[in-house]
Amino acid sequence: MPTKPKPVEGEKKVFMTGNEVVAWAAAAAGAECMYGYPITPQNEIMHYWTRLAPKFGLIFLQTEDELSAGFTMLGGVLAGRKSFTATAGPGNTLMQEPLSMAEMMRLPAVVVIQQRGGPSTGQVVYSQQEVTLTSLGGNGEGLRVVYSTSSHQDLYDYTIKAFNTAWRYRFPTFLLGDGYQGKMREPVVMYDPEVRGVELVPAEPYVGRPGTPGVDRPPAHLRNAYSIEEELYEAVMELVREYEKVAPEIVEHEAFGVDGARVVAVAHGVVFRAVKGVVRELRQQGVPVGYFRPITLRPFPADALRRVAATGVRLLVVESAYGQLARLVKEALSGLPAEVHGLYKPGVLVGQGEIATRIKTLVQGG
Amino acid sequence: MGEYASGKSENAVNRALDLVRAGRRVTLVDLDVVEPFFTLRPIKRELEARGLQVVARERHTLGLGETGVPLPAEAKWALRREGDVILDVGYGAYGAQTLNLVEGADRHPDLQVLAVINVARPMTATVEDVVAHVRELGRVDGLINNTHLGEETTVELVQEGARLVTAAARLLGLPVVATSVVKELAPLLGERDVMGNPVRALERFMPRAFW
Repeated sequence: MPTKPKPVEGEKKVFMTGNEVVAWAAAAAGAECMYGYPITPQNEIMHYWTRLAPKFGLIFLQTEDELSAGFTMLGGVLAGRKSFTATAGPGNTLMQEPLSMAEMMRLPAVVVIQQRGGPSTGQVVYSQQEVTLTSLGGNGEGLRVVYSTSSHQDLYDYTIKAFNTAWRYRFPTFLLGDGYQGKMREPVVMYDPEVRGVELVPAEPYVGRPGTPGVDRPPAHLRNAYSIEEELYEAVMELVREYEKVAPEIVEHEAFGVDGARVVAVAHGVVFRAVKGVVRELRQQGVPVGYFRPITLRPFPADALRRVAATGVRLLVVESAYGQLARLVKEALSGLPAEVHGLYKPGVLVGQGEIATRIKTLVQGG
Repeated sequence: MGEYASGKSENAVNRALDLVRAGRRVTLVDLDVVEPFFTLRPIKRELEARGLQVVARERHTLGLGETGVPLPAEAKWALRREGDVILDVGYGAYGAQTLNLVEGADRHPDLQVLAVINVARPMTATVEDVVAHVRELGRVDGLINNTHLGEETTVELVQEGARLVTAAARLLGLPVVATSVVKELAPLLGERDVMGNPVRALERFMPRAFW
């Protein structure tokens, strides 16, 4: 059998929209199957995946809705194929049902969310209003990993990482972007993960494995339903213990200028780009301000943020939602006498001017 | 017309302003039928202040998001306007078929359909890819080499684009109408690129647009 051509050879700087970046990165990560249902602003992930598919022997299935896209993706995972889907807004709402099942059965599904405005159909292109849904959705305990990206390079790097995290730890893994990131265009370095020394965690089937169940291997007894309350309690506690054990290996953040800061701005995603620019500029002018960016929203980098907050700084949470990131921040800081302020603009970008004004006011004690 | 991020809008805006400066009456039409509210909207007022007539959406939109947006009558009848008309055709799965929405596009004697190509995009990175992409678009009368990496564009990259796009154009039997490049780099290329195609300098507007 001829070997399949690699989607990305070596490394190369290219110019693309964020959605295209995700399609290429998924192919470079060894994903074989995409299942999806169209919704703006993620459509081009599907468009470009279907253009790559015939060239590189990949599979695409368009289903009748997001419930079906989510469950067929889990079918791909059960068969041992690296599988993913992409959605947004109301599609993300529907996707929570299959992803709850993935939490219960420890299925390494990968889901790309390009947030759009809500509630409901909202608007088609941008917000950060799917933080709560993506981090804690479903009728369970939110046992999933959520990476929040803020650049095209992040989209490439963390798409590859999402597949590795999912298959290493066997928890569903989300890449949380937004429509602006999906549509924006900027240079990005595409690379074959091997060239960078990134080892791809292999996929393996959950069902249909060789040998006789119970004789050569344990049976694949995958359950998402239990008959008795105590059975479910034990199953959930086992999941929680596993999740809490691996969370410290998964959690990621970045911080700048927090030592000696009077104010620390907290932001994620595309809003972080604005915050980073403002904070670095103010810092150069001698304003005592830093930033803290959670890269994983779930598990949340609570310990790192608590260390920052323990120095008595005032925190300013900046987001294109009405306090969804702030809710995660406040939970992380529970018990600390930290002041948490908010600059909330659901569904629109936050300008650098307004961020700078709020930071200066807070630095001056206002 | 062309792929996402190939440089359609940047070239359309610049060409329109060049013609305005030459004393001509010019209308620029945003013919993105998939997401018609984003590219030109933030810079519409600025372009109008420079003497360009712009047909693009601002606020007070009609329609149902991605599920259906009515085409403004000004866009449908744009080719009946006096003076020059530039149609910025948004990318969509249907290529040149979008032009079917514009009255008279199938028979207007002066209409030229130009495909904008950026070989720094992986889908149009080789001569073969460019040929296949242009054939998929439908009617195309000429190519524009707009090879770039945003802020990180170099002269060498633009010249490499000129070589690939010219080779593709020969296979397609089409002319290369121009190589377009940011005005900061244009003097380094001179009046013609390495393949003899005319060089057009671009002023950047898109960093102020949504995308």
